Amino acid sequence: QRRKRARARHKPCALKELEVSVSELGLGYESDETVLFRYCSGTCEAAVRSYDLSLKSMRSRRRIKKEKVRARPCCRPLAYDDDVSFLDAYNRYYTVNELSAKECGCV
Amino acid sequence: LAGPPSPPGQDPHGWRVPVDCVRANELCAAEPSCSSRYRTLRQCLAGRDRNTMLANKECQAALEVLQESPLYDCRCKRGMKKELQCLQIYWSIHLGLTEGEEFYEASPYEPVTSRLSDIFRLASIFSGMDPATNSKSNHCLDAAKACNLNDNCKRLRSGYISTCSKEISATEHCSRRKCHKALRQFFDRVPSEYTYRLLFCSCKDQACAERRRQTIVPSCSYEDKEKPNCLDLRNTCRTDHLCRSRLADFHTNCQASFQSLTSCPGDNYQACLGSYAGLIGFDMTPNYVDASTTSITISPWCSCKGSGNMEEECEKFLRDFTENPCLRNAIQAFGNGTDVNLSP
Repeated sequence: QRRKRARARHKPCALKELEVSVSELGLGYESDETVLFRYCSGTCEAAVRSYDLSLKSMRSRRRIKKEKVRARPCCRPLAYDDDVSFLDAYNRYYTVNELSAKECGCV
Repeated sequence: LAGPPSPPGQDPHGWRVPVDCVRANELCAAEPSCSSRYRTLRQCLAGRDRNTMLANKECQAALEVLQESPLYDCRCKRGMKKELQCLQIYWSIHLGLTEGEEFYEASPYEPVTSRLSDIFRLASIFSGMDPATNSKSNHCLDAAKACNLNDNCKRLRSGYISTCSKEISATEHCSRRKCHKALRQFFDRVPSEYTYRLLFCSCKDQACAERRRQTIVPSCSYEDKEKPNCLDLRNTCRTDHLCRSRLADFHTNCQASFQSLTSCPGDNYQACLGSYAGLIGFDMTPNYVDASTTSITISPWCSCKGSGNMEEECEKFLRDFTENPCLRNAIQAFGNGTDVNLSP
């Protein structure tokens, strides 16, 4: 049971979606209109490159000390969806771009 | 009606099969006599009015011969490939046949035969979908949600909204031409189950009715600094083949009839709603005049001021929008999800 749950948490990087109201986006718009919010979620273990291993090694040998580095790939949008337009509570139209992910990848 | 003895465009029994005008033009082009007469007629019509044209014997003969060809009763389809070309061919013959100044013109579009009651059924399912529906329902908001959750509808809706609300300069607050084009794309390419829900949603409160009125971004696509006279607007529309055709289609399918239960020709709500939506994105773009929830009033952006002795004709033209029981019943029936049941 526990292993199953653990595995579920480590799904590879993929596109997921949520139906959210425009107000919930937290962008400052007031609107009850519902939009589809697609985001990237999952792990990137399979995408570890020699770069990541070497960077980790440099850090453990304290060759890199103060700088902020990231020694593992992360799951991010590779492309964003088209613009989203909506009518707000004051009957004004707005268009938001790069709101939603279209394609995900380990970068 | 048995056709004349020209084989193309006929089925084996000699009955004329309806063909679209692009195809009819191809059939005509393959026949030397037809194609030469058609060429003559087009030259006759170019830049001349009907009376001068008919005074010419050669022109008259060409028209008579073409009445026997498949070009005579060809029709076009909404959103077909080469729609404009098809309509140009249609009017090239029909402008010679009619006065060109008739009040109602016949639609160049094929009649809508299938009663797409599915759309009405869908609308009724949607309107009863949400459990919390009765007290705080906003069908226009639900329609926007349904559109946003469909990639194609969302893309084309955002397309026209962003085009129609994009400011050009301090004096020109949007590009009406581009806005109309984007609206036409939306209504041509998105299935009517989405577009009609946005356009004809039923409302119980003002916020909903205002959202319904805002559907086509009226500040850009509809309103203008001045309100032209409706007959002038009609003349402008008639100089454009597409606008003229859509208006003729609206008159054919939404003309109030006192012979039917619903006031619509053939009790066909679908056809009326379709030809109403077909006017959006042209000079004759109609819209709700206010955000009233109780009475639905539709009008193009025009008035009958300055009609002179044409006042009566102008009022008659405008009433087909503002006081049309067929159009009103069709919109209300769609909003309530009730199509007519024609019991035999």
